Amino acid sequence: MAEKDRSYKCLNPVGIQEPVEQFPLAPRLDTLRGKTVHLSICGEMDIWVPLEKRLKSDFPDTNWTMKKGYTPTPVQLTEEERKTTDAVILGVCW
Amino acid sequence: MPYLADLEQSGIPTALLTYNEEIRKVEHDSVLWGVPKLRYVEASRSSPGGVEEADKVMPLLLDGLTRPLTQKEKERGRWAPKEPRILFEGTLDEAQEFYQQTESLPGLLGAPFSKYTDGLPIIIPTEERVAEMLKHTSHKPDELITLQRDVEETAGMSRMPRKTDKFMPLGKRITFKKGEPVRFMPMGRVATVEQVAVNAVMAGCKPEYFPAVLAIAESDPGSGGGGRGGAAYIVSGPVYKEIGMNVSYGMFDPCNPANMTLGRVGNLLWRNLGGYKESVTTVTTGLGNAVTSRGFIFAECTEKLPVGWQGLNEEMGFRKDESIIMTAHPGAWGLGQEHMPGVYRSLQRTGHGAIARYLGVKGIVGPHNYLEFLTRGIWACREGGFTLVLVPQMAQDLYDYGFKTKDEIYEWIWKKSFEPLGEYRMRGTPDEHTNGWMGIERTSGKHWKELSDDYMVPAGGYGPWDYCILVADCQETASLRFSGGHGQAYSIDAWR
Repeated sequence: MAEKDRSYKCLNPVGIQEPVEQFPLAPRLDTLRGKTVHLSICGEMDIWVPLEKRLKSDFPDTNWTMKKGYTPTPVQLTEEERKTTDAVILGVCW
Repeated sequence: MPYLADLEQSGIPTALLTYNEEIRKVEHDSVLWGVPKLRYVEASRSSPGGVEEADKVMPLLLDGLTRPLTQKEKERGRWAPKEPRILFEGTLDEAQEFYQQTESLPGLLGAPFSKYTDGLPIIIPTEERVAEMLKHTSHKPDELITLQRDVEETAGMSRMPRKTDKFMPLGKRITFKKGEPVRFMPMGRVATVEQVAVNAVMAGCKPEYFPAVLAIAESDPGSGGGGRGGAAYIVSGPVYKEIGMNVSYGMFDPCNPANMTLGRVGNLLWRNLGGYKESVTTVTTGLGNAVTSRGFIFAECTEKLPVGWQGLNEEMGFRKDESIIMTAHPGAWGLGQEHMPGVYRSLQRTGHGAIARYLGVKGIVGPHNYLEFLTRGIWACREGGFTLVLVPQMAQDLYDYGFKTKDEIYEWIWKKSFEPLGEYRMRGTPDEHTNGWMGIERTSGKHWKELSDDYMVPAGGYGPWDYCILVADCQETASLRFSGGHGQAYSIDAWR
């Protein structure tokens, strides 16, 4: 058989994806009133400054907490802070 | 994404605000981190921002936190994609066509994106060719690529984050231990020695290059900039002679097989082991890096160093007879003052020409400190350190001038980069790496906001180690400069 007609087994260059367990989302809040909602800010202050103002003025009965950074990596809640946090809004980068 | 996934899994509902061109990556990464139905809201980079954008996204974000879950959002499952070892059977012509298949990516205006290659034709990885490659390492084909020594990195900035790395403060140094599997970014896949060999064949590497390819794999070629690739490699030690790397005239130009194919293999590993797919698994949020995109590797010529200067292998903690690669991330090329090579010779031989005029040494025979000229304005438009590739004569002149070690030069250049804080504040990037001026200024240990405008801070990186000097064989007295200094080093010998 000519070389050009020979059949070759050719190997796969792709790496191995380890299995990932898929989880449901956390249950949602029934109301924002009386809840602690954390704002995890990673840059883009031209959106966040008015957004934060609107959230606080439109929902005064919600306890708004915040951690602010100027990089795409969020400043995370500690285990202790998580115990008193009901929900998180994170953006604009992630 | 690991943070959001962890919050959701621990019972805290989240809503993500992200830019609309990143949603494919959000959807992709949410599967990768186990929360496939993560709720997100799209913002636009092209909107005017401000109140208008806030009004648009606010109700959507709150809806994401309060709208009851759908049945799909409550489901559990397991994501376990499988890849066959034999990918294709057929003639070499048929295989070439198969491996060069592309897909059209909407995020790239429908442009074709190669499924298995860097866009160029490849050498077909037949079983026989891969087996030949594998003969050049003592490591078993089914062995996972693991770290061959401890590696210290900055949290959130380099290697794939581990689930155990949560609550890491930004910038904290973390250690990846010897023996840990390399998780190739952006998808966090692992890989065997054989899978690296497949990519080495495809890149056109000769089998004797294989230990160097495995060291490149250990570095995780996709890890630069958090999965955005762009890695470059510098080889140090005797291996460069063994495999015939060009360390002389034209070493950054084409036609040397080792330089060209080893440079290329990093991109294939990023695509195939890491799963790089622009706009889907990675969003570079830019147009890419022309300095590294076609492969960037070179070796230093240690035997041409001035007596007393260490080679890169020794600088990085290895022995003089050990071969290593060091990663670099050059984002800019050709920094600093340009000059004709003859102008440099005139400076040192007779004290004439432009550089002599600038240094005020007209008519005085060298050695003179060329770095005074080179660094003039070098940080004017760009912060950070750089790598300087010198020819032997220029290195010897610096030695004769008084720099008896490379470290003395690194220190000298870094100190030269200091400028008043008032000027530093006008730069484009410190807003981010000072974390909005909320962090601590390193040289003083004080908060940025406590310092006066005339306090002197370095524009040239965090310290002397942000600089690197290498020597190449060439008699023409010109230097090359590119951004970034010392990176992470990996032993080639560990992969023999």
